[in-house]
Amino acid sequence: MTTDRMKPKPGLPVAVLLAGLSIGFFVVVALATGETAQLSGQGIAGLLQRMVALGLVAIGQTFVILVGSIDLSVAALISAVAVLASHVMQGDPAMLLPAVLLCLGLCAAVGFVNGALVAYGGINPLIATLGTGLVIQGVLAASFGALQGSVAREFQIIAYGGVLGVPYSLLLLAALSLAAAFVLDRTLFGARIYAVGGNPDGARLAGIRTERVILSAHMVASFFAGAAGLYLAARLQSGTPWIGRDGIYDLESIAVTVIGGTILAGGKGGVAGTLAGVLLFASLDAGFNMLGIDAFLKQVLRGAIVIAAVAVHAVRTKGHVA
Amino acid sequence: MTAVPALSMTGISKAFPGVRALDDVDFECLPGEVHAICGENGAGKSTLMKILGGSYKPDAGAIHLAGKAVQFTHPRQAAEAGIAIIHQELSLLPHRTVEENIFMGHELARRGILDKVAMRERAAELLRRVGAQIDPQAPVSSLSIALQQVVEIAKALLLDARILVMDEPTAALDERDSRTLLKLVDGLRGEGVSIVYISHRMPEVTAIADRITILKDGRKIWTRPRDAAPISEIVRAMVGRDLKDFYPAVPVSPADEVLLAIEGGMNAGLRDVAFNVRAGEILGVAGLEDSGKGALAQALVGDVPFTSGTVALRGQPIALRTPRQATAAGIGYLPGDRKREGLALRQSVRDNALLTLRSMTGLFTRPQRGALAHDAMDERLRAMDVRAADFGQEVGTLSGGNQQKAIIVRWLAQASDILVFVEPTRGIDIAAKAAIYETMRAFTGSGRGIVVVSSDMPELIGIADRVLVMHQGRISGVVRRGASEEDIMHLALGLADAPSAEAGA
Repeated sequence: MTTDRMKPKPGLPVAVLLAGLSIGFFVVVALATGETAQLSGQGIAGLLQRMVALGLVAIGQTFVILVGSIDLSVAALISAVAVLASHVMQGDPAMLLPAVLLCLGLCAAVGFVNGALVAYGGINPLIATLGTGLVIQGVLAASFGALQGSVAREFQIIAYGGVLGVPYSLLLLAALSLAAAFVLDRTLFGARIYAVGGNPDGARLAGIRTERVILSAHMVASFFAGAAGLYLAARLQSGTPWIGRDGIYDLESIAVTVIGGTILAGGKGGVAGTLAGVLLFASLDAGFNMLGIDAFLKQVLRGAIVIAAVAVHAVRTKGHVA
Repeated sequence: MTAVPALSMTGISKAFPGVRALDDVDFECLPGEVHAICGENGAGKSTLMKILGGSYKPDAGAIHLAGKAVQFTHPRQAAEAGIAIIHQELSLLPHRTVEENIFMGHELARRGILDKVAMRERAAELLRRVGAQIDPQAPVSSLSIALQQVVEIAKALLLDARILVMDEPTAALDERDSRTLLKLVDGLRGEGVSIVYISHRMPEVTAIADRITILKDGRKIWTRPRDAAPISEIVRAMVGRDLKDFYPAVPVSPADEVLLAIEGGMNAGLRDVAFNVRAGEILGVAGLEDSGKGALAQALVGDVPFTSGTVALRGQPIALRTPRQATAAGIGYLPGDRKREGLALRQSVRDNALLTLRSMTGLFTRPQRGALAHDAMDERLRAMDVRAADFGQEVGTLSGGNQQKAIIVRWLAQASDILVFVEPTRGIDIAAKAAIYETMRAFTGSGRGIVVVSSDMPELIGIADRVLVMHQGRISGVVRRGASEEDIMHLALGLADAPSAEAGA
């Protein structure tokens, strides 16, 4: 019989719990290693700045996962945007706006293709976005020789500038996070995303044009990946075809989204949890650095933490394993 | 009451490749009328309703709503025209709140921004109208199936539906919840809503319907007012035979040898359960939704095992801690939710029937030999009269009755002594029901036993030799063949003490 369902246990929201854990870990490690400078305003800003690139990608990933899809092409798109921005700008501030617009156009196109393949083509999203990702990566690798360049100095303000000690990049992440949370929680589009992810057939019968919602979610994911790509280009001064892949932004964005309580089946979760997941990764990274843990062991610990986090969710909700 | 029907469908025909699903069917429903449609699975009921709901386009025929001709190409248009369809499989979002579900696809918004306050008020108002004590902010997954059904109805009312189609609304409900739902339907009728009511449960149909239409093989047999349609007539029109042939004859020799004995069975959902199943007996288990009747079935098959107590099969104590142990001991399980727990829908009929044999056999047994051979299994499937063009076809394409028979074959092949059936005929048409009852009788006829858990009381009374009635995890009483629905209901509601002499018998 399947009629008896577990009632969700009352408890702290996942986001608060995760954020508390992350901050606690960071503070304890900083105190234990004597690196109290990390706890100054500058140190905290540094910690939060580690969140920016992954945070942006993961917010977009949250949209597609909520709608019951997934996007594996984000890493390749990040590289493509970074390369394209630096190639078009060639250090010339006059080309700043055209470069950004061109990058956003590329994101729109990739998001549209991903969404169309998944929503209208009926292709499994893992395969569809893996495919588009491979295509983008291939084109980049083949033509990188012709795509050299660097971004304008003025553009690098995004990564290095700030106001009152708060980096612009953090403000950007905060603004986009709030906007994304608002869209999911308070708008028609958000309600439809949850409806389509939660029960595609039910949503269709309720008159929702589910294909459009899926396609839109993919476009959102691509735009956020593009934003991450632009930020990375600003930070590194010039894009390379491998920055997305080296940052493992595809798999890590999925990991932090799931850690944050969004279920892979769709229909449940949100931006707050995802950001808490990103914060967890950032403070783990920072903590491991302070502790001087070697890079490979770091990777092992991260993997174990992803599994542990999802296991905790599974126990908390009894049944809906991500 | 006006003479213009709220809904009138005339000359509707629809053909699918190889099947004539509907052939010149007329159907109408007046304002404030409950019009029931009865028919076997495949008679065309759901096709007719899908045409009404805008999911299918008819090949021929016309639909008029309050006298105006309409044509639908998308479900949304039907919804906007005031037609709401409550599907058998609920279309709710489990992780979202009740109010979010009520407004799914029709959220109140100003310039794309949700008006949550207005939605909350409207949701509370709708829930009051359906007389439900539901917190609009509770997640749907915390509600019982019955309450989820009520949320579906509130969804329909939100759109101010003038025509409400209910497809087997009580299939997943127990007796008490069904009555509540019928009361709600009655209230909606009073408000002038036209209700098209599809059900396999005859007592319900004759209790609620003003008129009854019978479909068979895509044609309309007749439409009659309720008073001119006794259950026996309805059943005869649907299958062409009498109700009294419906349940198989009972064997005359009384069962005596004890096959399965449970003593002091306890777990989270069960309190001190003790009973026997005798050789040749069909033991029914009745109860309301959370009475523990489902938990009892799960414990018997080792899915959610007893945490204390003893189980003996033919006098030998056995352990039932996992489904594998139960299977090895000779207890087979026919779950209520066939699609989820019973079948691998994308695999063949044959593979599904072979499932248990293959799982219990040694790792290095050669496939295609002995009992595992395709020929041997096909033989069994034919003997059970499983109707499929080819036993290699996907089991998901078979009717519910044939799927159920394929699962029965699975356990017959394993030579199980006890079969535990949960809701054996849920969503199955009358002819297939009769065949399944025959099979159950034939199974017990060879000295084996059946435990059948069901929410369908007439079914339990018709098929079982004894019926255990459960209430709050305990066995509140045992009734023998010939008991009335009232006797069982009394025990199920916990209104009577167990007749102590029989409780452990």
